Amino acid sequence: MNRKKGMAALLMSVALSGSVLTACSSNSDSASSSEEGGKVEEIVFAMPSFNRIPDDLSKVTDAINAITVDKIGVKVDFRVYGPADYTQKVNLALQSGEKMDIFTTLGQFSNYVSKNQVAPLDDLIAKDGKEMTAILEKDFGPDLLKATTINGHIYGIPVNKGMALPTSFVYNADMLKAAGLSSDNIKTVDDLSAIFEAVKKSNSDVVPFGPINVNPSDTNLVNLLKGTNKIDFLTDTSGVGVVIGGDGKVVNFYESDIFKNGVKMMRDWYSKGYLQKDAATTTITSMEMLSSGREFSFLGGYSGMEIGKTISAQSGKNVESKRIAPFYFDTIAANGVSWMVSSTSKAPAAAVKFLNLLYTDVDLINTLLYGIEGEDYVKVDEHHVKFPEGKDANTVAYTAMFSTGIVGSESLQYQFEGVNWSDVELKLKENKETERSPYFGFIFDQSKVKTQISAVNNVVNQYLPGLVTGSLDPETTIPKFVKALNDAGAADVIKSKQDQLDQWIASQGN
Amino acid sequence: MRNANGTSNALRKTGPLLMLAAPGLLYFLINSYIPMFGVFIAFKDINYAKGIFGSDWLGFDNFQFLFKTTDAWIMTRNTLLYNLAFIVIGTICSIFIAILMSELLKKLYAKLYLSGLVLPSLISMVVLSMLVFAFLNSDSGFVNNSILKPLGLPEINWYSEAKYWPYLLVIIQMWKTAGYGSIVYFSSIAGIDKSIYEAAKIDGAGKLRQIRTITLPLLKPTVIVLGLMSIGRIFNSDFGLFYQVPLNAGALYSTTQTIDTYVYRALMQLNDIGMSAAAGLYQSLVGLVLVLVVNSIVKRVNSENALF
Repeated sequence: MNRKKGMAALLMSVALSGSVLTACSSNSDSASSSEEGGKVEEIVFAMPSFNRIPDDLSKVTDAINAITVDKIGVKVDFRVYGPADYTQKVNLALQSGEKMDIFTTLGQFSNYVSKNQVAPLDDLIAKDGKEMTAILEKDFGPDLLKATTINGHIYGIPVNKGMALPTSFVYNADMLKAAGLSSDNIKTVDDLSAIFEAVKKSNSDVVPFGPINVNPSDTNLVNLLKGTNKIDFLTDTSGVGVVIGGDGKVVNFYESDIFKNGVKMMRDWYSKGYLQKDAATTTITSMEMLSSGREFSFLGGYSGMEIGKTISAQSGKNVESKRIAPFYFDTIAANGVSWMVSSTSKAPAAAVKFLNLLYTDVDLINTLLYGIEGEDYVKVDEHHVKFPEGKDANTVAYTAMFSTGIVGSESLQYQFEGVNWSDVELKLKENKETERSPYFGFIFDQSKVKTQISAVNNVVNQYLPGLVTGSLDPETTIPKFVKALNDAGAADVIKSKQDQLDQWIASQGN
Repeated sequence: MRNANGTSNALRKTGPLLMLAAPGLLYFLINSYIPMFGVFIAFKDINYAKGIFGSDWLGFDNFQFLFKTTDAWIMTRNTLLYNLAFIVIGTICSIFIAILMSELLKKLYAKLYLSGLVLPSLISMVVLSMLVFAFLNSDSGFVNNSILKPLGLPEINWYSEAKYWPYLLVIIQMWKTAGYGSIVYFSSIAGIDKSIYEAAKIDGAGKLRQIRTITLPLLKPTVIVLGLMSIGRIFNSDFGLFYQVPLNAGALYSTTQTIDTYVYRALMQLNDIGMSAAAGLYQSLVGLVLVLVVNSIVKRVNSENALF
């Protein structure tokens, strides 16, 4: 009996180890065969999409490969992730050593560089990226790659689009009309209070103003102040350590009178009932509020003049926009979305060849954005596309139409039907004409003060949403806020920034 | 020869039990023991070009950020006090439910009620946070509109007043977990020899007396084991409860910030795995020390009830 059992166990284990062995051998087989395939190199390319993520990417991937294998001999493993998990997926792949060659950042460029997660690209760009450099120069200006240069090396390619995002007042035009006013009454931010009052009077159910982003709530106040007062955040979004008006002195933004006055204005709006009582913690975005007709307006940073039309189409309301503050180029405005090549990439040259195509090839760019012509979109004219008859963004097999600000060169992208082509030209013009900070190109290296930065971020998260929505009283809260920041080590961050900035300025002089 | 026979005998006896334990052991091996190799990451300055093993050693620098701020005290206090409250109140509630259920004469009802009480623990924290929001939001919430208003009381802005949240969080946690926690107690009560109760009845002991002198003392080992296990996790907190349910509201940080939420908020932008590993190591170490201390106290008082 016992012996029989032992035999069975032995047999089992032999069978098991056998299958393991065969698994190994079959693995090594496939690996060697792909190597033998030779010239075509394979890279992994991950793109964020703000549309529904399609279940089946094989068709689009084939279409992309048809272009890339033919032109540059590179086969692309195409991945698409939603905005919520994009960063996480990419970081996970990088940390676990999974293959990930080309990815973008949603605002953390210098972080990837300081941890050596991305490869320097200078030599490769000089060799395989000439067309890309040319189009960046044509659409933005010669200094764009400065925004992604650290210690003399280029680590990323900023997306080539309208990068000036002046603060616009976005509002429901019908409600404004009902209140007996017109867009001529809106010129600066100071006019808004009176407009809210009128809207509130004519329609008491409507919330006059709301935060554009929620959790944490953000009313775009900080960007408004940044543009109007020429403040450079020095590539760190925490706001501790900024230069105001280009005087070279790094200060704490939250201690400045500019911040104080801005927050006081919000407090005034809040106490007059222009914002919801729970504006600081609401989970409903202004977009949803606007679409349901419960909100009148919000502030947002947009390039071009067509944003009213886009939002009208999305919300089903008659929405218009009006610029109320200029934009100010600091480094982070340009490198906020940059494409990078992983430092562990086995084929960096192939990756740069692909990037070169990503910025210059009309077919590739529009396949990535709109899918396959005739199935996922149809062309209307030279610059415009629309969905095939009877289809929309949710029913076509593939579309990533909301990723236009992420992929390649905007001047080569098709626009959706109804969008004015002259707007693209305007964006490119503003790229060149918007005032640049004298520290454009300076990138702060956080690694020496990361303990302090993490502590400071926590304090900012705690107080800022309440202040920019007016829910907290600035008179009592700002002193507490500033004290907490100082306890968290704000002074170290400011000093470290000042040192690095002084060095950077000195090095620019040469 | 005799020895070999001995081991095979032992194996035959314990084999089935080992098989039963195998999935659990595997779970701990994969999720707890293998990742332990990563502990050294907490002492490294991770540099991806050099790789995990090649990165420079940092000493204790990665741990600094946990203690750098005045928040350090607040978050440690919150984590400890909330978990203590959850353990104490949770045990009381669970035992209370278990006793009530076991006193039901019709077993069908007992099953029905117990299932109803277990249901909340299946709800995800995100959904729960929306349920809570429906009760508490300041514009259309149930509490403000349907309870406080009719009573003529002033409305409360729940998501900006930190002082209510210790109570709210305890109530929410109990609603969610007490039913589930009572299952173990319910089954230990079912395992108590019925003849003891019969003897007590003959001696003239009422229901309350029976509960006090029979049920509760016999539940003591279960309480101690479960208590010890939760004390091991006293430095960890339910992230969903402390992050999702208060809707990440800054004004509530003074009573909702725990070590886990602090680490998450502080490192979201830095994305530094060295610092995250440091935080995790710190929590586990303190947990281990607490288990050892509590176990040795239990051992001194009553060595039979100690875990090891």
